[in-house]
Amino acid sequence: MEQALVAEAQAAPRAGDLAFERLYRSSRDDVYAYVASLLRDGPAAEEVTAAAFERAYRKRNHFDPERGEPRAWLFGIARNAALDELRRRGRQAELAAEPADLESLGAPEGAEHHERRLAVSAALERLQPSERELIALKFFAGLENREIARVLGLSESNAGTRLHRAMTKLREACDGNA
Amino acid sequence: METPRDDQLIADLHALRPAPRPEFAAELDQRAAAGFPRRSRLFPKSPPDLFTAMRGKGPAHLRRLLIPVGGVPVNKIAVTTAVKAIKGSGSNTNLSMDRSGDGGASHPAHPSVEYERAVPMPEAGEAEVGSLTQSSAAPAAGSTEIQPSNEGFDASSRNRAVERNAELVLGAAPADVSEDSSKVFEAVHAHDGIVMNSSTREGKPGEAGARFELLIPSAKLGDALAALSAIDEVRSRHEATNDITAPTVTTGELLQDSKARIDSLLAQLEATETESEREAVEAELAQERRHRSRLRAELQHLERRADYSRVLVRIETGAAEESSGGGAWGIGDALDDAGHILAVAAAVSVVALAILGPIALVALLAWLAHRAWVRRERRRVLS
Repeated sequence: MEQALVAEAQAAPRAGDLAFERLYRSSRDDVYAYVASLLRDGPAAEEVTAAAFERAYRKRNHFDPERGEPRAWLFGIARNAALDELRRRGRQAELAAEPADLESLGAPEGAEHHERRLAVSAALERLQPSERELIALKFFAGLENREIARVLGLSESNAGTRLHRAMTKLREACDGNA
Repeated sequence: METPRDDQLIADLHALRPAPRPEFAAELDQRAAAGFPRRSRLFPKSPPDLFTAMRGKGPAHLRRLLIPVGGVPVNKIAVTTAVKAIKGSGSNTNLSMDRSGDGGASHPAHPSVEYERAVPMPEAGEAEVGSLTQSSAAPAAGSTEIQPSNEGFDASSRNRAVERNAELVLGAAPADVSEDSSKVFEAVHAHDGIVMNSSTREGKPGEAGARFELLIPSAKLGDALAALSAIDEVRSRHEATNDITAPTVTTGELLQDSKARIDSLLAQLEATETESEREAVEAELAQERRHRSRLRAELQHLERRADYSRVLVRIETGAAEESSGGGAWGIGDALDDAGHILAVAAAVSVVALAILGPIALVALLAWLAHRAWVRRERRRVLS
């Protein structure tokens, strides 16, 4: 009886593992979207995404909930991994500079939408890399402002202000393209 | 807060969001379910990628390699340095096994060239009162034969005149003093030695004893000491050497000069023509002959000192503490030993810290610099 309880306890996943699994399930696509936006290289983005999750998994016991939210912690790791990869390549970050594969989107809404997304994509290319990263964290990864602030090492208000400026510039760039 | 235009823009951004390939998502799910097992490399496609992957293993991988690689030589250096330091600090220490308080003082020492050797003590024999097992950390003495200890001397002093001295203290029961004394005589005669002086005293333990001043042919000193050590329990053994090559050679040269001078004077004597000249040469010749005799005696004395070693043998009775000044190995000795061990351990620790401290400081500074550089480079990537 006692042995059965011990075996059951050993077989049962620990709370930390369960929490990490939830974090993984909720963030897998977001992390990939953010990393792919930074790297503009699908295969490399896959490798870096996997490496980021692997690194986070190894460090999961070091995560301190008092110092931030799990998603911010995870995206911090992914950001470092992606920037390290960019640094190794000696390439400048060109956030989303690669034209999106608009054909693959299917463009169900028609040519107007297609044209508009082309304009948005081109406008993104004209932004500063740091501004593009802000937009990627917000709209590709779906982070809250406080999480973005945590990832970038900024205050929440500063992150909100920068994001607002980036959106304003993006909108102006879209208008310019139009 | 967001205008309809913003809603449209946000919708467009969401539409531009990169999505993972289903195959990649499935593979990653599998890896997640398996607990993200370590991959052998990050980019297994080409050599540059492999290099990148190896670098990507991070400092933890390097640390795992560096700790054993760096730890072994550092430990070696620390231990070696500590041992050298300890040896160096004790270079003036009497390293002989003499445990008697006056062992060194009573020895006819020659500080200019004398050195003392640690003599391996014999194995323990039957348990006897006052055996060396009661003394400090030395092995027990017994009746087993001691290996000759002057082999090293022979090799180094083959062409040199070396005077040797030894002192041996034996422990015996009062009833055995007489028999042991006889054995001493036998051993001396067996090795062609000379008993210059001897005294034997009977009585109670501590009072009874014997003392022998011996001359042993230096070539047989090792064997003689072994034989003497086998007579009874060895309480201490002490050897010393004194290189007398220089005075021996000098005296021999002076003797040659004196002979030559005498030959010259004899030739002059034959050539003298007057009585006064003959008397003067004869007086000078007599004086030179006396000088030659003195030199010859001095040379013989030196040669005898080299040919014969002076050995002092004492037979003591009573408990070993009377000669060693100690007692049975007890709490005090244990504390002494513990203190010595702690001192050695502390010395090793200090040396290790002295070596590891700067290395750790340099490593820490290097790590901090590397981290700062990485952070700056990451910022620069997006600037």
